[in-house]
Amino acid sequence: MSTIEQSNKAHRKTKEKNTAKKKLHTQGHNAKAFAVAAPGKMARTMQRSSDVNERKLHVPMINRTPDDDPPPVIVAVVGPPGTGKTTLIKSLIRRLAKTTLSEINGPVTVVSGKRRRLTFIECPADDLNSMVDIAKIADLVLLLIDGNFGFEMETMEFLNIAQHHGMPRVLGVTTHLDLFKSQSTLRASKKRLKHRFWTEVYQGAKLFYLSGVINGRYPDREILNLARFISVMKFRPLKWRNEHPYLLADRFTDLTHPELIEKEGIQVDRKVALYGYLHGTPLPSAPGTRVHIPGIGDFSVAQVEKLPDPCPTPYFQQKLDEYEREKMKEEGSAAKTTTRRRKRLDDKDKIIYAPMSDVGGVLVDKDAVYIDVGKKNEGPSFVPGEEKGEGEKLVTSLQAAEKSIAEKFDGVGLQLFSSSKEIHSVENDDDEEEEDEEEDESNAKNTGRSSLRRPKIHGKSVQEADADVDNLPSDDEEDLSQDREPDTVEIDFGESNRNEKLALETDSEFELSDHDNESWQRNSASKLKALNGDRRRWDIAKLIYMNNISPNDCIKRWKGEDVDEDHESEIEEEEEDFFQKRNGTASNEKDAHEGDLETFKPYFETLDRLMQKWKKTDLLKDRFIGKPAFSNEDDAAAEENNDDDEEVYGDFEDLEAAGDDASEINNNDGESENGEDEANDSDDSFADFDKEEVKDMTVSEEREMNASKKEKLRLQFELEEGENFKEDDPDNEYDTWYELQKAKIAKQLDINNTVYENMTLEQRQKIEGFKAGSYVRIVFEKVPMEFIENFDPKYPIVVGGLLPTEMKFGIINARLRRHRWHKKILKTNDPLVLSLGWRRFQTLPVYTTSDSRTRNRLLKYTPEHTYCTASFYGPLCSPNTPFVGIQIVANSDTTGNFRIAATGIVEEIDATVEIVKKLKLIGYPYKIFKNTAFIKDMFSSAMEVARFEGAQIKTVSGIRGEIKRALSKPEGHFRATFEDKILLSDIVILRSWYPVHIKRFYNPVTSLLMKQKTEWKGVRLTGQIRAEKGIATPLNPDSAYKKVERVTRHFNGLKVPKSIREDLPYKSQIVQMKPRKDKTYLQKRAVVLGGEEKKARAFMHNILTLSKDKENKRKDKKSEQRKERLKKLAKLEESKVQKDKEKKKEYFAKNGRKRSASDDAGGSRKRR
Amino acid sequence: MAPLVFQGSENFRLRLILATLAGKPIRIENIRSNALDPGLKDYHVSFLRLLEAVTNGSKMEISYTGTTVIYTPGIIIGGSHSHKCPNSKPVGYFVEPLLYLAPFSKKKFSIVFKGITASHNDAGIEAIKWGMMPIMEKFGVRECALHTLKRGSPPNGGGEVHLIVDTLLAQPITIHELERPKIMAIKGVSYSTRVSPSMVNRTIDGARKVLRNIGCEVDITADVWRGENSGNSPGWGITLVSQGQRGWCTFSEVIGDAGEVPEEIGMKAAYSLLEEISNSAVLGRPQLPLAIVFMVIGKEDIGRLRISRAQIDERFIQLLRDIKTVFGIEAFLKDVDDPDSDDFIVTIKGVGFTNTSKKIA
Repeated sequence: MSTIEQSNKAHRKTKEKNTAKKKLHTQGHNAKAFAVAAPGKMARTMQRSSDVNERKLHVPMINRTPDDDPPPVIVAVVGPPGTGKTTLIKSLIRRLAKTTLSEINGPVTVVSGKRRRLTFIECPADDLNSMVDIAKIADLVLLLIDGNFGFEMETMEFLNIAQHHGMPRVLGVTTHLDLFKSQSTLRASKKRLKHRFWTEVYQGAKLFYLSGVINGRYPDREILNLARFISVMKFRPLKWRNEHPYLLADRFTDLTHPELIEKEGIQVDRKVALYGYLHGTPLPSAPGTRVHIPGIGDFSVAQVEKLPDPCPTPYFQQKLDEYEREKMKEEGSAAKTTTRRRKRLDDKDKIIYAPMSDVGGVLVDKDAVYIDVGKKNEGPSFVPGEEKGEGEKLVTSLQAAEKSIAEKFDGVGLQLFSSSKEIHSVENDDDEEEEDEEEDESNAKNTGRSSLRRPKIHGKSVQEADADVDNLPSDDEEDLSQDREPDTVEIDFGESNRNEKLALETDSEFELSDHDNESWQRNSASKLKALNGDRRRWDIAKLIYMNNISPNDCIKRWKGEDVDEDHESEIEEEEEDFFQKRNGTASNEKDAHEGDLETFKPYFETLDRLMQKWKKTDLLKDRFIGKPAFSNEDDAAAEENNDDDEEVYGDFEDLEAAGDDASEINNNDGESENGEDEANDSDDSFADFDKEEVKDMTVSEEREMNASKKEKLRLQFELEEGENFKEDDPDNEYDTWYELQKAKIAKQLDINNTVYENMTLEQRQKIEGFKAGSYVRIVFEKVPMEFIENFDPKYPIVVGGLLPTEMKFGIINARLRRHRWHKKILKTNDPLVLSLGWRRFQTLPVYTTSDSRTRNRLLKYTPEHTYCTASFYGPLCSPNTPFVGIQIVANSDTTGNFRIAATGIVEEIDATVEIVKKLKLIGYPYKIFKNTAFIKDMFSSAMEVARFEGAQIKTVSGIRGEIKRALSKPEGHFRATFEDKILLSDIVILRSWYPVHIKRFYNPVTSLLMKQKTEWKGVRLTGQIRAEKGIATPLNPDSAYKKVERVTRHFNGLKVPKSIREDLPYKSQIVQMKPRKDKTYLQKRAVVLGGEEKKARAFMHNILTLSKDKENKRKDKKSEQRKERLKKLAKLEESKVQKDKEKKKEYFAKNGRKRSASDDAGGSRKRR
Repeated sequence: MAPLVFQGSENFRLRLILATLAGKPIRIENIRSNALDPGLKDYHVSFLRLLEAVTNGSKMEISYTGTTVIYTPGIIIGGSHSHKCPNSKPVGYFVEPLLYLAPFSKKKFSIVFKGITASHNDAGIEAIKWGMMPIMEKFGVRECALHTLKRGSPPNGGGEVHLIVDTLLAQPITIHELERPKIMAIKGVSYSTRVSPSMVNRTIDGARKVLRNIGCEVDITADVWRGENSGNSPGWGITLVSQGQRGWCTFSEVIGDAGEVPEEIGMKAAYSLLEEISNSAVLGRPQLPLAIVFMVIGKEDIGRLRISRAQIDERFIQLLRDIKTVFGIEAFLKDVDDPDSDDFIVTIKGVGFTNTSKKIA
């Protein structure tokens, strides 16, 4: 055997890995065992996470937009001219709807997902008014930014407008990025743009980058990403939109009768129908609802109508289909269609609806439909005999047919079976009907619907519906006719005695079948029955609102038969009494009592009657908690003796019973699955009956019953949730206030939906109105003709519903601040265009400040950097509504500066407001006594003085005083007293407050009525008028700030005349020194130069002269040199400038094209 | 805006109140035009004055004959006022409509009313205090009170009450009351001014005798007013309130005339209460308008209230019609899902009213 030992590879030694688990056990103990290693850090992290969570919360708000079939999301594309807005919309539409639009006019609605539609609208770049309107309705804004220029003025203006109207979601889209030559500058500018965008919108806002345009579109991949991003975006309800109904009109028609225009001229007011999807809260269905159309004015809705959705979502269609199928099933015919669940949209579902743009070459314009027949220079598209394709040949051959189809088949019969004879058409229609009826009667088992037919609403074209609508009499007329002939239903009372509910049900059914053909049959049948002696039955819900029937009659009609049925003999007797008494005073009194809410106390019968009725109290036994001690009259009589005992006893029993009842209720809460009503109704015979029934029922039936009970309980808001969701209970199931509010909102919405679902369509529309998401047509009367004549589909038309307060006019007090980017401060009473609520209007605001809450003092101008109060006249708007103010909206008047002048928020609305302005009256004292002075020049008459008697006055030096009385002699002068003696040079000031009235000026911006919609000019600013008229700004010289020159006062010495001086007493003698007579030493001395000193002086003089001369020479030379140099420099500069100019010229010839073109045409190449 | 037109003097106060809440101008024509003394009565004018005091900017034009009134409402401002009521109507006539307005004003209401405090046809003090204010509380008006400073029986009055409403609501709470609340107790007050206290006790006895049979807790207190606080005329009366679950209540009120037997007054009040209970589902007939109006001016949500068949009377119909004229809102009546009961559920969607006159901080 070989001794060579097998040498296996040794096992790899396991590494001493320092795993996380090991790390935990480092110093001999398990770190995890001690929960908190670093309490400080943990506290910080907890604090931070809770901060972050808290920041995510918003004020809980009820979302009034239905989840089920929401309106399309309005996507507004906004940006400066030439940034590629149209291109972006076209690209997106091609991506979503596979359609290429040649022109974008008005809103374009596209299906983008199973449950989502998008309405694209392009905001005219150069129109501030449109920007304002768009900002109010857009759900999502695609903000286009030219990557080369960055943020432009329009962008900034739009962002600021949007911010003050609730801020929709904003997506930045950067275009023209292919124009960057180097990658590094591209990257740098992208980054710069992104950060700038973040500061404007919010940190981390999404900014898309679109590189270049290929085939007139942006790159497919980038558009795909953008479309995906849009389709998953979520939206929060915004306050204003959650309180108002609104609509973006995507189509409009002029319904004015042509004859009217012909007769009364083109100036006649028009009747216009606007179409669009409703957003926000439901629009009330009652005609006369007030709405505002920004740019036109306030209108009453003449008629609203829901039309079939022109652009339904696949989800909605699917639901419709399912509904149809269910119907079919019910009717017995088994229609087997399997539904496939698809993840992607079918091509057939990709519907586009753009009535004002040309989809597929068809353009629905204001009063006609245009069909695109191709280019003009291509020649005629069709020449007879020269058919181009198979299709055209087919059509021409069809046209060539000699006989019509009807003629061809004339005389040809239908043979059902080979053996049967041919069936020919029957000439007489009546015969046919008779036959049909006969047939109906013969096989009545399987014909005829058991219930009403529900027509599929979708499928009828909008145009068709329109025609129908136009032909129909208006709703009002219908209502009137209904009023005249109220619907009644007859019921056979022989069959059932307890049929009130039944009657109502049939009533509602009858309502539905109003227009059914078969109704006449039922009617006639019932008439027959009526002849047999059955009485009519009225629906109280309808009777209530029939204004032509007096309330008294309503009640009689409603109750009449019921009373008869129940206690016939008794009441009839009474009725007779009633009729007899009718002329008497007593019954009249009762009548007056019954109908009028002026009398507070309801009618009661006389005491005797009441005693009769209430002999036995069992009638009320189920209304009290606790078991009533029912007693017979005898007992009652007996009990009268031991009154007190009885009472004590009664109390005792009552307590116990109440306790029982409470426990019962608790039980009910616990076992809600079982019939909880049983306990309460246990003494009721019906309940027992129910119980017996329960035993007989199968399990499924029982379950069904339980489910229905549960459903009922679910809707009993407070019973289930306790009083106000047990808000005060600390251990309710909601952790936070926020959750509680959410739960409440959800519950209320749930109730709303269920209640609405239980109504018929008609009722629902009456109570709820037209809910958001429905496509409606709204008709307005008396629309100015300019709207029609100057219509331009590029400008958005918004219809905004108004709340009651918004129709009133009054004074609005708002907190307002000049926008910090606006160059000038604002002047009181200078016109300002405000965008408040739906409206845009010019008004004259008065700026005030509160003087420590004692008064509102007028300010001539807005303060520089703080808020002030602005009071203005206009349509009221509820407090907390934000607004923006703009001084000039006309494009021709803008200077290129930032146009948004002010932003603010409504604080308070009122009918009047007290604003004062400081007024100082100035007077001068002309006679001063000790503390009294006579003042002149303050007033002009004694009357005026009398008005101000007792008023506080003050001198400039601060001495306070009071006006006492007018002086008789110089008119207007008065006597005043002061706390100290004043000087004659003092000025006396009376400070008073003068009331300021707000000018009642309201001028709606009617931009949509203009031919040039961007050129609306209202009242001019004061400055503008002055500039145009050449009026100098009035300037009170006293108000001007001048340099204060304080002259030092010079006092002359006191000179006392000699005669007086001599007479002065010794003590007061003025001591004066005598003047000196001899000269002083210095005066006396004279100096003479000589010798050495003279020489030295001359020498120094020479030297200095020489050096001065030298210096002068040098200076001259230097200045000459300088001049030369300057000349040289000037030459150089000149050549440089020349070069620059050439360079610029060259550059702009090449690159500056875009801006100049867009300035001319307002857009890019799209208009050419 | 063209004013809404109403005919006749019926629902005079309610129509003015609805117009004020909605902010719509109204025109009331043919006010007692066929009467011998046509036109507005002194209490109508007094009410218009009161309305003018608690609002700002409202305009009232009364025609020469007084048969037509055009009213353009302003903004409800409230504040502190004192109102002298004419002796033709008690203070309740003026206090009751203000309950509709008070929670929706700019400032808190604090109004002193002087005049008669009780009458046969209009609301008495207790009726408002124990009958109406609990209903307001259900809609979120928690802080309201009516203090009796002096009582004044008809015909000479001399009473004084102080209405204080401190709650300023944005909008009333949406209510859902689908069950008849069971009655837990019956409370009551019997008052007297310038008559012997025994009248009060006898009245209470009369009421107790009737209510004893019910077996429910009955608690009636005596309230005897003496001296200068008891007004200028003698009088007595009784108010009974049934207190139901969840704070709902119904009430009845009767006052005595000269020569009437106190026991009978008590019995009448008790029987009226029983009648009212049997005729009502959740709340009584006099309280119904308040509840319905508060439901109408609620949020844009569905509110529901159960009413009994007997409560659908002419006044109810007129109320709903007036509401429809002013607010354009219809109530929806539906039977309850219960074969044993012939009650209705009134379903009303609020108009989305908000108290706009209130200032933000």
